[in-house]
Amino acid sequence: MAAAGAGIRLHPACRVRQEGFGLLFYDSRGPRLLFAETGRLLPADFYGTVRERDELPEGLTDNQKGALQKFVNQLLEKGFLREQ
Amino acid sequence: MSNRYVEMGLRSPVNLTWEVSLACNLRCTHCLSSSGEPAHGELSTAEALDLVEQVHQAGVFQINFGGGEPFLRPDFEEILAACHGRGIMTCISTNGTLLNAERVARLATTRLVAIQVSMDGATAETCDAIRGKGVFHKAIQAIRLLAATSIPASINTVLTTQNASQIPAMYEMAHSLGVSLRVSRFRPSGRGADNWEELRPTPAQLIAFSDWLSKSGDVRTGDSFFSLTSQERQGLGLNLCGAAKLTCCVGPTGNMYPCAFLQTDRFKAGSLRDQSFQEIWDSSEIYDSFRSLRIHSCEECNRFDQCHGGCPAVAWHLKNDINGGDPECLERCVTSIADANKAAQAA
Repeated sequence: MAAAGAGIRLHPACRVRQEGFGLLFYDSRGPRLLFAETGRLLPADFYGTVRERDELPEGLTDNQKGALQKFVNQLLEKGFLREQ
Repeated sequence: MSNRYVEMGLRSPVNLTWEVSLACNLRCTHCLSSSGEPAHGELSTAEALDLVEQVHQAGVFQINFGGGEPFLRPDFEEILAACHGRGIMTCISTNGTLLNAERVARLATTRLVAIQVSMDGATAETCDAIRGKGVFHKAIQAIRLLAATSIPASINTVLTTQNASQIPAMYEMAHSLGVSLRVSRFRPSGRGADNWEELRPTPAQLIAFSDWLSKSGDVRTGDSFFSLTSQERQGLGLNLCGAAKLTCCVGPTGNMYPCAFLQTDRFKAGSLRDQSFQEIWDSSEIYDSFRSLRIHSCEECNRFDQCHGGCPAVAWHLKNDINGGDPECLERCVTSIADANKAAQAA
């Protein structure tokens, strides 16, 4: 888990792209896939640059922010995102 | 893995198997593509580089290079550089005989390449019987060069009746060399079809391998053995054939197929000389047929959720029936042994 204030970004061994259902993550270390039903809420290139731990795209409702934050935590736990 | 999303259809493959040349300096008896001489009309450098750009635009994450021996293509490192320059991950399947310190040092300058060196036994005698005299020691040399770098490297072994008992020893050998072990399934295509009866593992060997695999979580199998996968390995890989859904194959002359084991006219999805990569992925009738393939004859099996009928390529090569169910799945291995035991008792 990233420490408070630490930046996070996509792990170099991982890739992500937009699909109809949302985001498809690929981890070459497995290899393994993660299918995320995020629709268009999270742009595929969002974590291509370093982001603050609680940083999310603009224009989301509180519910959407809450759901995405949980998802980001999962991505960190599964190693698709990492602290920078 | 969620099959629901896969069945909805992905906008492009997750990875692509690209057999860049049929040229090979070895004549392995199990070779899936009967490699030796280059194919007539293999893709030019310009065509290959154009394909890399198309694959990049399509969003493909990884290209798995095979052949033939990829390093026999004089422009192969140029093709690799084009992939890496676009952020495409690559994995090279090589026999290792053309890897020297200079080439390995060049490859190690990127973090986007992984290399599998093919070996088919824990001893020179076993390995060289399949791959040719002296190949075992050359492959070991190549693996040592790779292990000294940051390149993720593995030994890739095709499971045959000759080496089945040596797989645990190969696992130990890989670890002692500082690399991992990957085991691939032997399928009856190319020279593998000619030597099928001589090389195919027995049902008992397949069951023993499945059992060993269930205790060896760090052994990679790609999509090779989902028809044998035990409960312990569920979640580590596929539980269905990924051809035309998650992956596809480009042959040396630019023809596209569902997978490397179905590179015949019957399964040609299109030619990159006639259509774009994306057009073929989106509109090929062959790919559509694989996406809607349901192995109804296997639906009553208690392992159906674990393999969904297994490998259609093996069913095609052995039964001439793409819908026929995998003749070498775990359930059929168990049944085959039980039937043999009954027959022996009756006699």
